[in-house]
Amino acid sequence: MIGIKSSLAFRENAAEAVRDSSLRSAMRTATDTFTQLRSAGMASFPMDEWRDRASEIRLNVLNSLPDYLDEFSRNATRVGAVVHRARDAEAARDIVYHLLKDRGARKIVKAKSMVTEEIHLNQHLEVRGMEVVETDLGEYIVQIAGEAPSHILAPAIHKNRRQVGRLFQEKLGVEYSDDPKVLTGIARRVLRNEFLTADAGISGANFAIAGTGSLALFTNEGNGRMVTTVPPLHIAVLTIEKIIPTLADFASFVRLLPRSATGQPLSSYLSIITGTRKPGEATGARELHIVLVDNGRTEILRGECREILKCIRCSACMNVCPVYRVIGGHAYGSTYPGPMGIVLTVLLDGMENAHPVLDASTLCGACAEVCPVRVPLVKLMNLLRERRVEAGFTQSAERTFMAGYGMAVRSPKLFGLGQTLSRFLWPLLERVPGNMTLPRLPKPVKSTFKRRMSGQ
Amino acid sequence: MSDLVETFMRRAINMAAGVTLVNGEGELGQAVATLLSPEDAIYCPASTALEKGLTLPAESLTEDYSAASITVEEVFGAIAETGTIVCSSQGGKPLQAGLLPSRHCAILPESRIFATFEDFFATLGADLPTNITLISGPSRTADIELTLTVGVHGPERLDVIVVQE
Amino acid sequence: MRVQLFATCLVDTFFPETGEACVRLLKHFGVETAYPRGQTCCGKPPNSAGYAREVKLAATRFIEVFDGSDAIVVPSGSCASMIRNHYPELFRDDTRMAAKAQAVAARTFELTQFLVNKLEAHKAGLKGRGKITYHSSCQLRRELGVKEEPLSLLQSLQGVEFVPLPSEDRCCGFGGMFMAKLPEVSMAMADEKAASIVETGAEVVTGCDHGCLMNISDALRRRGAAVQAKHIAQVLAEEL
Repeated sequence: MIGIKSSLAFRENAAEAVRDSSLRSAMRTATDTFTQLRSAGMASFPMDEWRDRASEIRLNVLNSLPDYLDEFSRNATRVGAVVHRARDAEAARDIVYHLLKDRGARKIVKAKSMVTEEIHLNQHLEVRGMEVVETDLGEYIVQIAGEAPSHILAPAIHKNRRQVGRLFQEKLGVEYSDDPKVLTGIARRVLRNEFLTADAGISGANFAIAGTGSLALFTNEGNGRMVTTVPPLHIAVLTIEKIIPTLADFASFVRLLPRSATGQPLSSYLSIITGTRKPGEATGARELHIVLVDNGRTEILRGECREILKCIRCSACMNVCPVYRVIGGHAYGSTYPGPMGIVLTVLLDGMENAHPVLDASTLCGACAEVCPVRVPLVKLMNLLRERRVEAGFTQSAERTFMAGYGMAVRSPKLFGLGQTLSRFLWPLLERVPGNMTLPRLPKPVKSTFKRRMSGQ
Repeated sequence: MSDLVETFMRRAINMAAGVTLVNGEGELGQAVATLLSPEDAIYCPASTALEKGLTLPAESLTEDYSAASITVEEVFGAIAETGTIVCSSQGGKPLQAGLLPSRHCAILPESRIFATFEDFFATLGADLPTNITLISGPSRTADIELTLTVGVHGPERLDVIVVQE
Repeated sequence: MRVQLFATCLVDTFFPETGEACVRLLKHFGVETAYPRGQTCCGKPPNSAGYAREVKLAATRFIEVFDGSDAIVVPSGSCASMIRNHYPELFRDDTRMAAKAQAVAARTFELTQFLVNKLEAHKAGLKGRGKITYHSSCQLRRELGVKEEPLSLLQSLQGVEFVPLPSEDRCCGFGGMFMAKLPEVSMAMADEKAASIVETGAEVVTGCDHGCLMNISDALRRRGAAVQAKHIAQVLAEEL
């Protein structure tokens, strides 16, 4: 894939992103629209009550995750699914590849799944000669553009209609149009054929219900339904923390997820898939394989940031994030952008590979304010920043400043000396090439408040 | 009309479904007829009593739902809370019939409307059918500039006919 | 009544007039201001950046200096929140210090919080001048829960035309160290804030936090806008 950015280059990525005026405009429209829709969709509902309940259910799951996973596996197996446990990305890729290869599958249609991005599944299959067609419109757009998704719900949100029009013209050989209706119609035509001729369908799952062994899939387009019911083989890939204990518990999330994500009371389609086609039925995959991916979650569960695993991938946090708004999703260099992305990326990829994304926040708290399952995002980001300092992934200028700060804060005399020094050095420091901070600040005054209060 | 029916209808309209209320089979036939046009290729499973009771133009009928322009069928139930209809694979219904054609006409007996998700889920035992799909309005996307477009990989029109007994 | 004033390092270093305005304001309501001379910084900068050791040094110093039982008044939402919400948990493992931290936290108030809830200053018929809009700072709003107090004060000012700021609660991009670490992003965020301020037609944008106001002021300057960024203490004390 071209142009994939690295988390280590976050600062450069972000600086570049703010200069991209069409990205800025697209992000403004997208985040404003999402937040308005969400507000409208949540108004007049007892959100605090719903969020408390949802958070409680998610915590309960995390506290007994292995048991719930076992229960899910048992029930899913009972209804005809084959359940695989994949310890990491490599294991997951292998399982999926061999399932497809053993059945001679050449063309695979995919419904959107963030974990398949996380484990880089598409590339793995494509280099081995398989054709993978993304069917979610936004995913389809970024796929033919050779880009990564930039938002977990609306992957092509960074593109405007003209860019999509030119893309379709170039890659599909169709006449240029920037009318979303026309563009959607083109995608519908192209993809319908793919659904009907695919050997297998790969999907994610928004939730897995332990008590019945079911998978729950929320979509608006209908591609989720196509992918999971038309081809004979359905492979569902999901991460282990997505379990919900019972259908009764699941009702709380049916209510919360679409509203938190897009303000809709429900997405157009919610499919509850329980095993393979049973005798007497006319709908359902002949073969259903469920791949439960760990890829670091058990480790996270044991640690101090475990609450991030409550996340239900609604995207409300990134939609309200003032930093995401101006830099878009690609700058993070990760599968997951925005506030939940900062935390999850550092935990999954490791401090050494992702620490700069911890700077992508002013700790304003807008994210934690909207999280439907009360993930304490600000607290987690702060905690990870402390770990970053302990691990030594800090810049020497900052460390020096903090060392000086540590001395000055304890001694008013030293503090005053520091103020005087900075006042004298200001004209020099301001002119340091590339110094983008001092020129934006006022000059330190000679007559500090302390001096004035001392009658000086 | 009961509160439950009223709530369902109001919320279904809010999800951009077309909604009609009829009394009994006679009115049902008429309501279905208004949704059809002579060019239509109609798929109807004709498995339930209400379905069998419909008089559909024989020359327009097709057994191949992937080639139909409209599917007319009785659905499993509905949830008033969000104006959602429920389709189930139970009893041999092909759910693809309500997915592939560009229009879906869902016949809904009043007695099958549940107030909330919890109420509906409580009626399901431990053994679920392979596929239960909750449908709220037509298929849609907003992936391009967040501009809403209707009719993507599913029907662009959903009509629900609530049948009061 | 007597209070202790924690001026904050930004006020001390860059905006002493705000400190003076606080003293004048409080005096107007019959409140005597004590200024503990040993004060330095509340510890917010190292806290945001993850330097736990330095935060504790700052907090320990603060707790020592602000010994007593009078209310502590702070013309900054982020500092007041640091003290009120973060100090107690800093000393989780030290019962003695935790108790002291808890006591200090309970006595600490952001300026407008104190003015409205303790002094009912919004009913005092204060006077002001000009067309003013208001930026609602993040920690003030989301950590301290101070949303209405600044607004009731501004709206009570006779002679002031108050105009609400659309998206008043969207972060301005200061974020302490953030403005130095991601300057381009910070400026982009500040620029959007400045644009919405200019659109209100206000002559003054006010707020409770100098960090925000500094950042916003810079963005307004870069836009060539004539709007002044002024701390709410100065706005309220203008006609005293």
